Amino acid sequence: MKKLLTLAVLMALASPATVPLYAHHGRGATYDMKKQVTLKGTVSRVEWRNPHVLIYMDVKGPDGTLVTWGFENAGVSQLAQEGYNRNTLKVGQEITAIVNPAANGAPTAIVVKVILADGKEIMSRDAGQNPVN
Amino acid sequence: MRRFTLIALVLSLGALAHAQDDKSKFKARYDANAGDKKFDPHDLSGIWTLTKNDHSLGTPAPPLTPAGEAARAGRVVDTGAANGNAPWYTCNPMGFPRLMNDDEPMEFITLPNRVLQVFQWEHRIRMLWMDGRALPSGENLENLGPAWYGHSVAKWNGNTLVVNTVGLDERAWLDNAGNPKSFHARIEETWRRVDSNTLELQLTLHDPEYYTAPYVGSKKIYKRMPADATTYFGWYGLFAGITEGICAPMNEVDVYNKFRDAGRAQPSGR
Repeated sequence: MKKLLTLAVLMALASPATVPLYAHHGRGATYDMKKQVTLKGTVSRVEWRNPHVLIYMDVKGPDGTLVTWGFENAGVSQLAQEGYNRNTLKVGQEITAIVNPAANGAPTAIVVKVILADGKEIMSRDAGQNPVN
Repeated sequence: MRRFTLIALVLSLGALAHAQDDKSKFKARYDANAGDKKFDPHDLSGIWTLTKNDHSLGTPAPPLTPAGEAARAGRVVDTGAANGNAPWYTCNPMGFPRLMNDDEPMEFITLPNRVLQVFQWEHRIRMLWMDGRALPSGENLENLGPAWYGHSVAKWNGNTLVVNTVGLDERAWLDNAGNPKSFHARIEETWRRVDSNTLELQLTLHDPEYYTAPYVGSKKIYKRMPADATTYFGWYGLFAGITEGICAPMNEVDVYNKFRDAGRAQPSGR
């Protein structure tokens, strides 16, 4: 009983402040929020839909193999409120994406920020402008 | 059963501890409204957003009755490791009052005989009748049956809009802690426009079937959002209004949940 309660207390207090645990769409242990990876490549697909916009990009690995990564973003309403739209990123556009990768090593992730070819940072969670809940 | 109550209470407190004032991105914009001193306290019109996200009534729930414990059984709450089995993960309605305590904006529309609430998430309408009809009770309530958002009547008491809602569908969770509410529960909510920029809301759940005492919620604050903080699909500042936050299973269940679960370290509770 004591162990169960201790576990419950730990679970209740363990959620990181930057990503609300109690949101529309719980993620649990989907992403490794302590790890960031940098993806350089070209946009291959943008699914501008709720509950979360999904952006896919082709990334060439060190051995030349092409891997398609997908990363989730905020919802359509939240991104629109920040001034982004479904043509902000276009298929074929070169971008750099900083992401928290999947916990199990799959090529999926959640956005930290996107850097455009001219260095402009958009859709940034770092800047506190993108609550991906 | 006592063990589940204690754990649910601890998780509820955890949720409260993590209630976040994460609307800071709009703060400068809604603070900009503060100079607008003129307002009609009986006009709630506008688009409003909660200043804190906590997805609950904002206070710890009173102990459940044995029937309440039974109603709560099988509900798995979210943890740091995995999702629970809340109905909204599969696009079922959040129901009242859970939707009211959600993250996204809500619009009040005032009509002669009723007030409408339009919620961005679910793109949902709630009708608060003010045409003098009685709150359904007895055989009338039994005949009407349950509704995800219940049956609501409202009236002004001075400058406070008092809304009572009955006939709620028991399958909808009261909050993220999985607390229940019975079909025979009544929820009283009070709304007060304290200035041009601010609404105060307070909810009390009266449900002797499932709770050993009335569940009195905390006072919640909504702030009025200006047009340029709401925008429809990227027409930034040009086509402002509540957006279409529909939870479509062909987006949420067939695509998003699968995308998310592909990277999950542990399987989901669903």
